[in-house]
Amino acid sequence: MVKLRARCLLVGDAAVGKSALSHVFHSDGTLFQKNYSMTTGVELLLKCVNIPETNDSVELYIIDSAGKETLVEACEKMWGEPSLLCLVFDLTSEQSFANCSRWMERVRAHSRGLHVPGVLVGNKSDLSPRREVEASVAQEWAQSQGLEYHETSAREMENCDAPLLSLARAFQSLYRERQEAIQNLSPG
Amino acid sequence: MTDSPLSSLGAKVVVASSSDENHPPENIIDGNTNTFWMSTGMFPQEFIIRFAEPTNLSSLTVDSYNVKHLKVEKNMSQNASQFEFVTEKDCEHTEGHLQSNSVSLNGGSAVHLRFIITTGHDHFVSVHRVGVQH
Repeated sequence: MVKLRARCLLVGDAAVGKSALSHVFHSDGTLFQKNYSMTTGVELLLKCVNIPETNDSVELYIIDSAGKETLVEACEKMWGEPSLLCLVFDLTSEQSFANCSRWMERVRAHSRGLHVPGVLVGNKSDLSPRREVEASVAQEWAQSQGLEYHETSAREMENCDAPLLSLARAFQSLYRERQEAIQNLSPG
Repeated sequence: MTDSPLSSLGAKVVVASSSDENHPPENIIDGNTNTFWMSTGMFPQEFIIRFAEPTNLSSLTVDSYNVKHLKVEKNMSQNASQFEFVTEKDCEHTEGHLQSNSVSLNGGSAVHLRFIITTGHDHFVSVHRVGVQH
């Protein structure tokens, strides 16, 4: 049994639903913030995820960082060294998807060349008539970036667990991998 | 000079910021580099060793993996608090084998030694052995 700890960066354009998602995560799917209030700084949320069929768990320190362009630079100072990435876009906004590569660049600049496992989340899946980004396109881009793809609706609280579980599993398998490598080291 | 494991001298690890039951902090002081304590994510990480009695120390050796920066503090108190800074060290990345660093303590005694790993070369670090030279 082991309790892992990960600093999980939650980024993406303004108003794609990062904070709404993080509140649904945090409340185990009981709380959706109906009123929009823009995050102007960085909000920290702590969420413990148990990995099914194991005794392991991952404590996620979720750093919900403002998406608005003019605020990003100030917020980046509080990102620290991320262990995991949750990159969110709005399925009804092609632009928010296009900007995901900028977000990836920013995150890479903070990760000191280390591999940071992550997920790409297309949010607002409940607004299907207004969808601008096809699942297959998002899926393909996610794959090219080494991210796992999920679609969620924070409003309908649909599928919101999936990205978290996927992040927790990715971190656990990284830990197991490193542990094995360390076991096979030769003395100094 | 001594090569006896710290644990056989009555030392204990009284604080560790990570725990994996397969790699407990006691592995740091069992004198064996095949067993280790492993951090379970994020930095800083720390552990504190308590000696059975005030112990005179001239230097330390730390065998580890992926540690990038190590800070050492000590105190003379029975409580694990109010530490004074002793030294800090940048540790080179080693590929496929352990880092072995010696840390000079400039003599003086200590009851507790506190090791703070402020950052690593990877998400996780391991500490395999801490030995002291008197």
